[in-house]
Order: sequence, then structure tokens, then C-alpha cells
Amino acid sequence: MTETSSPPAGTVMFPRPKKRIRGRSIAILVFLTMAALFFCIPLYVLVTTSFKTMDQIREGAIFSLPEVWTFEAWRYAWDEACSGITCEGLKRGFVNSLEILFPSLIASIAISAVTGYALALWSVRWAGGFLFLLFLCAFVPFQIIMYPLIVITVNMGIYGSIWAVAFIHTVLAMPVLTLIFRNYYKDIPPDIIKAAVMDNGSFWRIFIEIILPMSGNILIVVLIMQITSIWNDYLIGVTFGGLGAQPMTVNLANMVTVTTGTVSYNVNMAAALQTAIPPLVIYFVLGKFFVEGIAAGAVKG
Amino acid sequence: MRSHRYSLGLALAATLLSGAAFAEDLVIYQDWSSPAEVKALNVLKSAAEKKGINWVDITIPHDTGSNVTLLNLVTGGTPPNVFSENNPAVYMDLEKMGLGRTLTGLFKDLGAVDHFPAVVTKVITIDGEIRKIPLGIQIDGMVYYNKAVAAKAGVDPEKWTSLDAMFADFDKVKAAGFIPLALGAQQWQVGYLTHALVATLGGADYFTEIYGPEPKAEALDSPVLKDAFTWLRKFQQAADPGSVNRDWNMTTNTVISGQALMQIHGDWMKGEWRAAGKEAGKDFGCAQIPGAKAVVVSVDSWGLLGGQPEAKDKAELDFASVVVDPVVNADFAAAKGATPVRADAPTDKLDVCSQGVLDILKDPTHQVQNPHSMVDPDWQASIWEVAFNFWSSPSMTVDEAIASMKSNYDTIVK
Repeated sequence: MTETSSPPAGTVMFPRPKKRIRGRSIAILVFLTMAALFFCIPLYVLVTTSFKTMDQIREGAIFSLPEVWTFEAWRYAWDEACSGITCEGLKRGFVNSLEILFPSLIASIAISAVTGYALALWSVRWAGGFLFLLFLCAFVPFQIIMYPLIVITVNMGIYGSIWAVAFIHTVLAMPVLTLIFRNYYKDIPPDIIKAAVMDNGSFWRIFIEIILPMSGNILIVVLIMQITSIWNDYLIGVTFGGLGAQPMTVNLANMVTVTTGTVSYNVNMAAALQTAIPPLVIYFVLGKFFVEGIAAGAVKG
Repeated sequence: MRSHRYSLGLALAATLLSGAAFAEDLVIYQDWSSPAEVKALNVLKSAAEKKGINWVDITIPHDTGSNVTLLNLVTGGTPPNVFSENNPAVYMDLEKMGLGRTLTGLFKDLGAVDHFPAVVTKVITIDGEIRKIPLGIQIDGMVYYNKAVAAKAGVDPEKWTSLDAMFADFDKVKAAGFIPLALGAQQWQVGYLTHALVATLGGADYFTEIYGPEPKAEALDSPVLKDAFTWLRKFQQAADPGSVNRDWNMTTNTVISGQALMQIHGDWMKGEWRAAGKEAGKDFGCAQIPGAKAVVVSVDSWGLLGGQPEAKDKAELDFASVVVDPVVNADFAAAKGATPVRADAPTDKLDVCSQGVLDILKDPTHQVQNPHSMVDPDWQASIWEVAFNFWSSPSMTVDEAIASMKSNYDTIVK
């Protein structure tokens, strides 16, 4: 779009639209810079404050660079900061978050992929009604069904454990994920399945040997969606975690929420960054595939 | 219920079974996490351990409003044995579920009730019975000032006897190049300032007519309320431009760093001063709001879970008696920077500000309780909203503010 200097095809008409585009692109650039600043200034404050000492923060100049760069706040937030009387820093919540993340991820993606596959490519009785129900469920706010869910987990005997949190994550992600997989799979030509059935393929064998290898993009999309939402979740963790199974976000909230207590802004900023980094890393590593997957999904369905 | 309790996390179940003979576990649900608060909690923890109580901590931030998490834990069958909660309605809910625990008998036996300041007894009493353990006292509106700045400006905040005298000195402070009054203009801070002003100008009885369990319509016509809003406007005009939506902590830091002379806010401000390594009486001074007819007292208080097996119940009561023990309570208050809940607590470890508060509280007519512990939350929220709107829109008149309070009164209270 931009390399237009060398082609010989340039006519008299050419410079005019080019000028117009330039004017507009300046406006776009200005707008984008403003939008970027809008996000970058708080981020700048967040990062620099986390490297300052409290003495410097008390001076009040929030935009100044740290006089002395120190990792003390980062170390303290990770290792020593108190959440109530337990002073083990964020690392405890980090471990909990990981323990919640893996079972939730595996269960939610596995179950919804298979369900989506069955709904899209096999003739399932009531499939239409079932899809409609799923569609409705995707719009039920969690807060409304929170109480019954607590009672359910209590009866299952898992309330207040990592399994309760993982279970709820899995259940709540099911409608949307199933719909995503179903829509992705429904565009696979039915002839492929028919041929596979003729070749004596079973339900599972077709899924594992034919469908899964075709699902790379959509798996990445769902993986990123799920990692981000599970990692960043607060409400499910705080409601079902009970004693000792609370994720990093709850840990963070305990550290930064004070009403009448003192605030260590540097430690809070460091803790917030530590909590935000894992999904960011995932996003940077898998981001390329994510965009491809979204695009593939968009073209197909 | 019983079986649910055993299906807790492994750690708890294990300790429940194995440790029962030696130490009783108490699950303590609270939300203090800043260094001074944790230090104070550890005072309680080690005192409780001497009584054979094992402190199992569960920390979730919760506001003074409706405590959803506490009720979730109860529904989930893992209720905490001790919980921080101010809202009387929660205690009544627990009572209805058969999980209330009264402490009237225990505190009478301990002889603690006679030593509680009048307002403390009021706060912990719900429906005629004591249902809360008082931990520490905070005053909602105090003047904390930077002594170095006061000396440079040539003023003495402790000499002020009225708000007029205070404002009269502000020109001097400005001339010396300081901000006279640092304030953080957030809704709750303005709300707190408003009720502190109502207590200052109206005294205990009038305060109860506005912020009590049964607010009175006539009280809204009183000249005192007009006065309160007039002063609120003066405070707003005296506040520096940086005050908009500023945390009280950052506001305190402007006083600590010597940009401003003083701050009027709850006396938990002391925490920031102490965290900055400053000493009460030397680096900073404190006083009640000049000319105060009454001060508003917040009492940090925790509740106990009733309907427990005997051993658990005994441990809970032991915990309560540890907390109100005069020596433990004084140590707790000293660590937190609060004021003890007992007038007979040893004062040797307390700083001058806490000692000052204990002196103020000797007069039972000079104290009222924080609205949170008695008023209808909707009514209080509406007052906060009016006060904050008034603060944020300089063109709003006092009469307009009072008129909107009246219309809220008609909707909410009547």
C-alpha cells in the first residue's frame, strides 16, 4: 500500500489521491498516538512506580523516573507481602492460579471440542434445541447462578478447593466454547466424515485422527481466550476458593485493597504487574496464531 | 452442616482431626493486610496461641456494606469462626440462621463492659445483646498536622477552639507558602468529613437524629445542617486543586512531605506518618476538629460464629477474652496505631495521639458512633451522594443540598 515511489505506471492522477491519503494518515497517526498514550501513560506510571522507593513516592511527583532503581518492591511483593496474617507474598497465589489453570483448561477445551464436533458433524437428536439452549446459557450472568452453584459444589464435596474453582471455570466456559468449536467444525465438508465412516472410522478415531489435526488455529484461539479469562478471574476464585485455594488475583486484591491501612504503592504496582505478566507472555508467544485463527474463523463462518 | 465442615480443604480437615487434642483451630476471616495491621494481628495471634488457639487465616477484602463473601462461606458450609463485620444486619441474619453468638455474659464476667467507653458498648450491642468483639478505636475526623510547617507558618493548630479560628489562620499559612488544608475528594472521604462536621457542630443528640437508626425529618430543617454544609463548602474552597479523587494516603503524604499544613480525616492517618518514620508529638501533632461538640468513633469489631461444638465455642470465647484483655488490647492498639477499647488499658506504650483520644473519650456525651454501625445503609449512601455532589459542583447552594436530602428522606426513610 505504501511503496509507491518506483512504479513507472504513475499517471497525472496519482499524486492527488496520494496527498489526500497523507493528510488523512496524519490524522490517523495523531489519533493512534493519542490512543496509545491513553494506555501507555498509566502503564508508564505503573512500571516506574514499581521501581521507586516509598520515600520518593511520598514526594508526590508520579511522572518522575525513579531516583534509585530498586527491585525491592518486586521482591517484597513476590516473597513477603502480607495477605492477612500470612506473609508469603504473591507466590502462593501464583501456584494456586497454575493449579487452577491446568485442569480448567484441559477439561473445558477437551469437553467442548468433542461436543462441538458431535453437534456439527454427527446427527444428534435434539441438536437444534440443544444448540439454542447453549446459546441462551452463554448469556446468563454468573452472578445470578452463583448461589445454586455454591450449593452444587458443596454437595459434590469440593467447595473451597482448587477443584471447585476449576469445575466452575469448566462449566461456565462450556456454552461459548462449544458454540465456537461447533461453528468451526460445521464447515468441514461432510464428505470427509462420510468417507471416514466408510473406512470403518469410529466416532473417536475420526475425531483424533482427522478432526483434531485440522483444529490447530481454533485450539490456539480457545487456548488464549481461556488462559486469559481463567487467569484474570477474581469472582469465581473468591467465591469457590474458600480457604487456601484462592488464585493470584484474590491474593493481589488482599494486598492492594485497604481502607484505613497504609498503602505501599510501589509494592502494589509490582504485584499488579506480576499478576498481569503471565497472560501477556502467552499472548506475545501465541499472538500470531491467535490472529490467524480469528481470521480463519471469520472467513469460514 | 457437620459433614460439610469436614469436607473442607485437606489441611483444615487434617488439623481438625489430629490437632484437636492440643489446639483448637479458629478460622479467622478479616481483611487487614498492611504492615502495621499485620503486626497488630500478630499480637492477637500470639496471645491466642497461649490459650491453645490455632489461628487459621482467611483474607478477602470486603467492604462495610453487605458482606456477600461471609454469607457465601456460610452457605458453602465453611463458615469462619471469627469474622470482621460492622453491619448489624449481618449479625441479625446469622442469628436467624442459628449461628449468632452473644457475648454479654462473657464480657460482664470479665468486667470488661465497665471499662469500655460508652460509644464502644453502643457499637457492639445489637438488639439488646453484645454481639461483637471490639478491637480498637479510630476517630473519624481528626486534625493531623506537620509540626515543622506549623512552626514555619507561625500557627498552632492545638490552640484553635473553633472552625472560625482555624480558617482565620489559613491566610498566614498561605502567606508562608503552604497549602493550609489537604483533603482527598473522594465520595467516602467527603461523606466522612460531612458526618464529622455534623457531630462537631450539632453534638451527639443531633448527630443521632440524622445518622441514627431512626432519622428524624425535623432534623433536616435544623440550622445545624445548614451550618454543616456551609462549612463543607468552605472546606471545598480551601482544598488544593490536586485534591480531586485523591486517596487519603497520598493526601497524608502531601502533609508529611511538608507541602501542606494539615489534613482532616480519620486518625488512621497516623499509619502513614509512622510508615514514613515520623513520631507523634515530635514530627506531627493531632487534635480533634476545633470546637467539636462530639467526635465520631469507629470501632473495629469482629463477630463470633454461634451454634458450634463445645470445644470450638470455648476457643471462640477464649479468643474474645484475649482481645479485650487490657494489656493485649493496648499492645494491639500500639502496633496498629489505634486507640485501645478499654479506658483502663496501660498507656505507657501509646503515643500522645492515642492518649489524647482516650482523654477525649472520658466524656460520654462527647462521642457518637460511626453511622455504619447503626444507620440504614441506603440513607447513609444517599447522604454521601448529596454531600459529594455538593462538593463537586461549586454552584450548588446549601438549600439545594438540603432539599435533595429531604426528597431522599421521603423516598428512603418514610
